[in-house]
Amino acid sequence: MTKAKEATTPVLRLTDVQKSFGSVHALKGVSLEINRGEVIGLIGENGAGKSTLLKILTGIYQPDKGTIAVNGSTVKFRNPRDSAAAGIGVVHQEQSLFTNLTVAENIAMNGAASKGYGTTFGFYRWGKLNKAAAQTLEIIGSKLNPKTRVGDLSFVDRQMVEIARAISVDTSKNATPLVILDEPTSLLERGETAILEREIRKLKDFGSVIFVSHRLDEIIRNCDRILVMRNGELVADRVTTTVTEDELFKLMVGHESHATAHERRARPANETPAIEVTGLTRKGKFNNVSLSVHSGRVTAIVGTSGSGREEFSRALFGAEKFDGGSIVLNGREARGWRIPKAVKRGMGFVPAERKVEGMVGGFTAAENIVLTHPGDAAFGPILKPWKRNKIAQQWFTTLDVRPNDIGQNLERFSGGNQQKVVLAKWLSDPELRVLVLDHPLRGLDPGAAETVNEQIKAACKKGAAVILLADTLEEALEMGDDVVVMRDGVISATYDLSVDNPSTLDLLERMV
Amino acid sequence: MTATISDTGNVAGTKASGEGARLRTAGKLWQAGGPLVIFIAMFAVVAILTPAFIGSGGITIVAASAAPILLVALGQAFVLNIGSIDLSNAAITVLGAILLAMLLGPLAFVAPIVVLAMVTLFGAVNGFLLAYTQVPSFALTLGTLGIFKAASLVVSGATTVYVSQNKDVVSPLYTTQLAGLPLTFVLGVVVAVIAYLFLRFTRAGMGMTAIGKNESGAIFSAVRTRALKIAAFALSGFMAGLAGMTIIAQAGSASAMGLGSDLLLPAIAAAIVGGTSISGGVTNPLNVILGALTIALVPIATAAIGVAAEAQNLVYGVVIIVVVALTLTRSRTAIVK
Repeated sequence: MTKAKEATTPVLRLTDVQKSFGSVHALKGVSLEINRGEVIGLIGENGAGKSTLLKILTGIYQPDKGTIAVNGSTVKFRNPRDSAAAGIGVVHQEQSLFTNLTVAENIAMNGAASKGYGTTFGFYRWGKLNKAAAQTLEIIGSKLNPKTRVGDLSFVDRQMVEIARAISVDTSKNATPLVILDEPTSLLERGETAILEREIRKLKDFGSVIFVSHRLDEIIRNCDRILVMRNGELVADRVTTTVTEDELFKLMVGHESHATAHERRARPANETPAIEVTGLTRKGKFNNVSLSVHSGRVTAIVGTSGSGREEFSRALFGAEKFDGGSIVLNGREARGWRIPKAVKRGMGFVPAERKVEGMVGGFTAAENIVLTHPGDAAFGPILKPWKRNKIAQQWFTTLDVRPNDIGQNLERFSGGNQQKVVLAKWLSDPELRVLVLDHPLRGLDPGAAETVNEQIKAACKKGAAVILLADTLEEALEMGDDVVVMRDGVISATYDLSVDNPSTLDLLERMV
Repeated sequence: MTATISDTGNVAGTKASGEGARLRTAGKLWQAGGPLVIFIAMFAVVAILTPAFIGSGGITIVAASAAPILLVALGQAFVLNIGSIDLSNAAITVLGAILLAMLLGPLAFVAPIVVLAMVTLFGAVNGFLLAYTQVPSFALTLGTLGIFKAASLVVSGATTVYVSQNKDVVSPLYTTQLAGLPLTFVLGVVVAVIAYLFLRFTRAGMGMTAIGKNESGAIFSAVRTRALKIAAFALSGFMAGLAGMTIIAQAGSASAMGLGSDLLLPAIAAAIVGGTSISGGVTNPLNVILGALTIALVPIATAAIGVAAEAQNLVYGVVIIVVVALTLTRSRTAIVK
């Protein structure tokens, strides 16, 4: 499978790399080799040590033990600049571009690349700078104008700039660039993912790639070889052709998938829907959107980033205004709709931007859980903090949150475990009627994603109606009772999955 | 799902939590005890250099001068806690003092109530403008600072207003002592304790802290952010009014340029030295008591060391920077990118 163009030394070789933080042994001796032209998939649960490994490769952390060799010679990365000089570039999950600068400036911002590349005594030489950027962009087959401001680009175009920046490492030494893609697709919509995957295949022609993703199907589609990490160790090194998704899941999580199929509930005939939306309109965002969700059912909304489904879901929760139409909850119309009112009427909302909107960083996990629905931890306006811990501990056990430390600042948890806490905040409402989930699985590893999905199903069983903005079409088809497709702010198709059986292609056709 | 966590996973989890708990305890200890350590150090300097001062009722003097600083600082702590700043509250103190001096004669016992209601309203207006116009609090209260200062000059006719009658409605606050401490300071301590209980044990208090830590997160958690912002500024106004009352109790007169007109910076300093975070979401009113006492000791310590009176502000500035560097909660800036 690997292209053995030249049977030379590996591009990267790690030998017994170890790293500890206090008493936490984050990497327990990792050894691996990456060859020229190889695309390596790196998978593992949150906290498995992937991030630590990447940070060592990019010079942010220094290993306690072990050696790193690039193209056969041992190196020590004291900082990200050293790593870039050795030919290692990284595309971060959350984009790290300067939106107010041009494409060329951003590409030149790569420390090693800017050396003698368009600058003289720190002054830009615009002609040279733009030309160099155009050359780099050409390598990855992008026709972006280097003079464009990055802020004006689409998300996927920005990702191209990130890749260009990553590969614009010092090529003068004739080294093979190694590009690390850290969950590059987690924020991309379907069509955009395809473009990125094409890029990955192109990168193979002149360099090696480490591809980190939580989407196992993507990993299998794009990689030659897959490395699995668990608890700070490399537990498997497999050639892609010999593994299945189920096997990878088991290697990562340490046990088989327990996912239960969602028990579909047919649309009841004579029952007031938990939420009924009629002709909801916000000028320029969404237009005349009507749907109803009964208790115990899931309506999945799919659409591209311009479809207006995000704005629509936020309007349902009172987080954004709407100009016309009505929302009726359990037969009562919503008036003067704002978040506190929506919550009082039994609504919950898991936002896509977890760190910004989903939680209060700096508060402990326990404080976050009881912030909205204190339950037994409050008597009217008076809090009873001593009761808080019991409630939080129950949720930690139910949702298997790790580390099991309810008094820890929620900021310090990994994304998957944060999301479990955010979910608990709403699930702890005994009166929960309608739960709106905006990309609830974004950035979650398969183990955490499974827990979250199981809890969504459990909430349904207890009688909540769920509106789900799924990350992928597969997720929508798996979780939904109804699937609503939105395009340019209007509903372009509705499928009742107890009757219809649309394929992802059918959905895609209605999306674009 | 829960029954099948791998053994190793469990061990790692426990280890991580143990480590986290230990670090957390150390951080919390300093956050809780830092202001006390600094106060004791400051007090020791004064006690060693001028033992006579401490022996001869110096503590009463320090407590009396700390009282208005403490009250204004507590109001400021509420506003800082929601991630804003109130530059106008010391001006409200002066305006409140002038109004009280004028109204004590005609209204007697009712005057303090009327004045406190007025200053609370002034603060609430600040909060209302902030919540609904979204002008940053720094700019907004800089504007209202000017307005309140002008109002003080106009109302007082730019002269000192003396309490004509019924002075004894408020003067016992200063003249009565409890264990060597004037009632004005005791009032400040009582307010601090109530503020502490409010912030730790009410949903409103927790909501305010949530706003300071992450406003968007608080909004999406159904915290009534606008109402709580107005409330925080109203409390700042109310406590500034209490500070104005202690000034009348002590001096029996008030003027736009007189006692209390330079409270703004000492009060902000007291709040910060007391461990309040300037970026919001962290405060402990009990430590603000120590912050106010530390700040009240600065001029005395400066004189004790023998620094010329003209250079007092220099020492004052150095002390604040050093103390803040020592007590600042750094968890937010720990991530070095």
